Parts: sequence; C-alpha cells; structure tokens
Amino acid sequence: MQEFLWLLTLSLVALLAVIFVAVIRQAAMPAAAAVPARSGRYRQPLFWGLIIVGVAVTYGTLVPWPYSPDPRTTDTPLRVNAISEQWSWSVDHTELPLNKPIVFFVTSRDVNHGFGLYDSDRRLLTQVQAMPGYVNKVHYTFTKPGQYRVLCLEYCGLIHHDMIAELTVKP
Amino acid sequence: MASNRTISQTVRPVVGFAVRLTMALSIVVFLLMMLLGLIMRMVQGSLLDIPPDLFYQIMTAHGTGMVGTAGLAGAAIMWHFLNRYVRPSVSVYWLFLAFFLTGVVLILAGIFAGGFAGAWTFLYPLPARSGAVWSVHAAFSFIAGLLLVGVGFLLFYLDAARAIVGRYRNLSNALGWPTLFGSEQADTPPPAIVASSAVLIINTIALVVGAVILAITAVNLYVPSLTINPLLAKNFIYFFGHVFINATIYMAVIAVYEIIPVYTGRPWKSSRLLIAGWSATLVMALAVYPHHLFQDAVMPGWMLVTGQILSFASGIPVIVITTYALLSYLHRSEIRWDLTSALLTLGVFGWAGGVIPAIIDGMIVVNKVMHNTLWVPGHFHFYLLLGMVAMALGFATWLAQGEKPGTAMTLSHKLALGGFLLGGLGVVLTFLYSGKESVPRRWAVHVPEWTAPDQLGSVFAAVVVAATIVIAIQYMSRCARSS
Ligand code: HEM
Ligand SMILES: [Cu+2]
Ligand SMILES: [Cu+2]
Repeated sequence: MQEFLWLLTLSLVALLAVIFVAVIRQAAMPAAAAVPARSGRYRQPLFWGLIIVGVAVTYGTLVPWPYSPDPRTTDTPLRVNAISEQWSWSVDHTELPLNKPIVFFVTSRDVNHGFGLYDSDRRLLTQVQAMPGYVNKVHYTFTKPGQYRVLCLEYCGLIHHDMIAELTVKP
Repeated sequence: MASNRTISQTVRPVVGFAVRLTMALSIVVFLLMMLLGLIMRMVQGSLLDIPPDLFYQIMTAHGTGMVGTAGLAGAAIMWHFLNRYVRPSVSVYWLFLAFFLTGVVLILAGIFAGGFAGAWTFLYPLPARSGAVWSVHAAFSFIAGLLLVGVGFLLFYLDAARAIVGRYRNLSNALGWPTLFGSEQADTPPPAIVASSAVLIINTIALVVGAVILAITAVNLYVPSLTINPLLAKNFIYFFGHVFINATIYMAVIAVYEIIPVYTGRPWKSSRLLIAGWSATLVMALAVYPHHLFQDAVMPGWMLVTGQILSFASGIPVIVITTYALLSYLHRSEIRWDLTSALLTLGVFGWAGGVIPAIIDGMIVVNKVMHNTLWVPGHFHFYLLLGMVAMALGFATWLAQGEKPGTAMTLSHKLALGGFLLGGLGVVLTFLYSGKESVPRRWAVHVPEWTAPDQLGSVFAAVVVAATIVIAIQYMSRCARSS
C-alpha cells in the first residue's frame, strides 16, 4: 500500500512539474493570436475529470466503511485492551492468535497517545488514537506469525519515542 | 468599468516602511527556524547528539515559530496590497506587531527558559500534564504568548474588515457575490480584495475558537478541576490550526495575483470562476478539519466522511483555479524572468504539488498507515516551504527591486533559486520517503534503519538554508540602500 502511494505521489508531482516546465519554456515567447481563448480548452475536461476521479475514489475508499471489522470473516473478534500512560502501554493479551479477527480497545489514562501497530519489518499496519475518556476501537487480523510492536503515534511528551510494547503472534 | 481602481497615489510611505520591516523580520526568523529544522533532521539522522528534552523544545519552537512567521509574512503581503485599494489603519498594524512580538517573547521564555515542549498544537491536556518535565508556569507563558499573538491577528483582521467595508459597503460585495450571481457590479473587487475578504472571515472565526481553547487550557493549568472534554478540545485545536496555517498561503498568494500581471501584461481578473473558487474555499476551509481526526474512531462518521470528501474537493477551487490561471497567463506572455517572478511561480508549484500527498493522506484508508508518520511533515513542508515561503521570498525580492521587474537573473540569483528548489524538493521527498517507510513523526530518536533519509534530508536542508541566506542578504542590502 505505502509503496503504491509513494509511486502515485511521485508520478503526479512529476506530471505537475512537466506541465509547469512546458509552460515556462514557452512563457518568454511572443503571444500567438488569441491565447486566452486557446488556454481555456483544457478547462472543461480538467473540471469534469477531477469530479469523476473524486466521485470514483470517494466511493472506492469509503465502501466498505474503513472502520468496520474484517469483512472476510464473521467470527466474533477477540477483544484486546490497550491502555496507554506516560510513557508505557499495558496490553492485556500480548500473545495473539493467527487468522483470528482482533479488536483492540484503546484508551489513555493521561494525555493523547497513538496506538500504532507495526510488524517486524517496521511497517505500520494500522493505528488509532488513544484518548483519555474515550475508547477507540481498531480491528486487525494477523495473517503472519511473528513479533509485532506498538509504537506511540501521538506526541505525548519527553519519552514519546520510547513508548513501545511487544506483541507476539503464535502460529 | 471603473473597477479595480487603486488608490496607490495616496499610499503612505509609512506603509512601505512597515511592510519592509515586517518582511525583514520574517526572513530572519524563517532562517533561524530553518536552522532549528536542520538541527532536528541531523539529530534524527544521528549526525548530531542532543538530549530529547531539547529536541522537543526545538520542535515546539520550530513549529510555533514557522507557523507564526508564515502568518506574519502573509499578513504583511495582504496588508501591502490592501493599501492599494482601501485604507487600513497604520496604528492598528503597529499594534498588531507589538502584540505579536510580545507574544513571541513569552513563547520563547516558556520554551527555552521554562522547558515547555508541548508542540505548537498544545494538545490538551499535555500542557498541564508533562510528566513533571516542565512547570505549569512554563506552559502558561507559552499559552499566554500564543493568546497575545492571536489577539494581534484578530485586531489585524478586524481592521482589514473595517477598511474593506469602508469601500465595498459590505463583505458580500467584497467577495464579489454580485458579480457571481449575475448582476452588474460597478466596483468589482480585484482578486486581492476577494481573497483578503475570504481570509479575514475564516481566520477571525478560527482565532476566536483558538482563543477559547487557549484560555481554557490556561485556566486548567492552575485550576485542574476546571477541565474540558479532550475530544472537543482536539476538535477546537485542529479547526484553529488547520484554518490558520492554510490562511497563511491564502494571504501569500495575493502577491501572485498582484505581481505576476506586471510581468505578463495581462491583468489577473476577478473572473466568476475565481470568485466562486474563493467563496467555496470560505466554506470548505472551515469544514474540512475533521481530516485531522480520522484516527479518532469515536468521532461521528458523517464528520469523517465530510473530512475526506472536502479534503479532495477543497483542493479544486483555489488551487486548481490559481494554478490554471497562472499557467495560462504565463503562456507566451513574453515574460522576462527575474528572481521575483521565478519565486512566485515556484510558490504556486509548491502549493499545488504539496496538495497531492496531502489529498492522498486525506483518505481514511491511507490515513490508517500514514497519519503521524513523516509523510505528514512531507506534505506540509511541500506547500509551506516550497509554496508559502517561496511566495513570501518572491514578494520580498519584489520590494527589494523597488516594486518593479528587476534585471535579468544573475548567477547568484540562479544559484539561490536552484538551491531553494532542489534543496526544498530534497527536504520534502526525504520526509515523504520516510513516511512511506512508516517512520513516526515527532520522534527525537530514530533507529539506524531509519537514518539514511534523515541524513540525506539534512544535506538538502543545508542547501535550502544556504539559498535562503543568499536571498536574505540581497533583500537586506537592497532595502538598506533604498531607505
Ligand atoms: C530548511 C527547511 C526546514 C527543515 C529542514 C525543517 C525540518 C523540520 C523537522 C525535522 C521537523 C520535525 C519532523 C518530525 O515530526 O519528526 C519539522 C516540523 C515542522 N516544520 Fe519544518 N523544516 C523546515 C522548514 C519549515 C517551514 C518553512 C515551515 C513553515 C513555514 C515549517 C513548519 C514546520 C511545522 C509546522 C512542523 C511541525 C512541528 C511539530 O510536529 O510539532 N518547517 N520541520
Ligand atoms: Cu507518544
Ligand atoms: Cu488540515
């Protein structure tokens, strides 16, 4: 996912740069007749193109609803409580099952923290905020056994960068 | 059409002086803050070793300092061009500067004397609950400083509103609504007035909301029993923060509207499209902030959906319209490039370019794996450093050139411009790359696997600093000579 987004971003920025360079290279030339009229010709397609892309992307990324449980299974998820506090996590199950949907109930005893679930390659899998007074839920199903980590993803003061918990997923 | 008539023949010399002074101040602070940024990047890259408390103080100073200075430079740009059409008060402008500078003193004292390191977003209840790292007095100094800066901006916008209404009778005329809705408008507002009106409305609202949450935070420091719902506080803070930081770009782009036509010989018109774009922005800028709260799963679903849709949609009005208009005005305009026109054009590129990774992160499914990684500083440095700051520097060189096109670009101009562009792109792309690699943002310590892009980013940052120094020196020496 992240690789794709990175390449998408690079391509779109490059496209924008190419358009700027193309215009800049012509900018010093004398005007051809009726330039403004000619330059208007991309306006309509650009407008409608953006609308169509917008509608399609909105639909494609909101259906199914991104916060809902894993649609591939109807098992009742295992509930795991994660409570944050400056500057540590307490997670009530640190050995987690494979291929079973899990719902993390995340909260905080003091300030805002962020529950960031990382795999052993340091790739961020999912996240949710840990807030005082609220319980945020995040669903995840582990499909690979191994060592996982929770890193703090909301700035919470001096030891924010060392607020890490270890999780193990057993085959 | 008698529209867009300026009153520049009556622009008071003191206006020019105040604006040049503000820009000098802004450039110096931008530079100092860039140095702090360079230090942070080097620390993350293990090229420099400082304790985490100092890192987070620097992070707080850099964030607050950059956002505040972007606001200051934006205000100077807006005020400069407002003076072409209407008569804002010079005394209020000095008062604004006085509030701003007093606030800065309190902010710096809170951070570097008191050790406050709660970040520029002062996310409640962190200021009061630092784990005994800083005192409530340090937090109070910082919060009170922000409040003073906010009051200064509020005065600035209220006076701008008074001046605009003085000529256009009401803000709907100044937003160009008669033109938009088809009636003949005798005194069509120029883009500078349309943009200023939209900005002053949204930022006044944002500043009031910001002042409310700042005041509650300040009281909570000394009266812990007086609390506020942390989720509500978060909504207030991101609403304020989102609008304020975006407004800095909206103000800076006025320089593009007003200066580029001098180069192209084609007036930047208040077309219906432009007017509609700014009116749409007025609404969307206020409603889009829930995109900062995608990871608060308890937020109402409709707000999160609105946040995602508006993140995409709010890119279209001003950004697409401004970029498109700029490119068609430039096209075969026989423009003679100088540092000003090049920096302003770069600024629009940076603004539009930065919005690309921002909109991508504005989708909930993406946000799940990008939020609070370095992807985020990646996109906002794109439109702030290569966008907002490039426009502000372009405006400054315009002042230094005596507000007319300058000589063709010298070698030092070309090096400065190229360095700023390449260095800036490098800073931004290394951030985005780290974000793609899931590196968290706001971490003082990076593991060895993360440090390669940090180190490369540091090199690019040094290039940006060097390029900015060249531009700053030229600005200072030209301004000193001319006054
Ligand atoms: C040479 C140029 C710059 C460099 C090297 C730089 C570097 C940095 C670094 C390393 C961070 C912290 C990243 C992290 O979260 O780990 C940061 C944060 C930030 N920067 Fe910059 N920056 C530069 C220019 C700017 C400019 C021009 C602006 C705005 C006008 C800006 C605004 C901010 C803000 C608002 C933050 C967020 C602070 C926070 O997370 O609390 N920066 N910058
Ligand atoms: Cu944290
Ligand atoms: Cu925002």
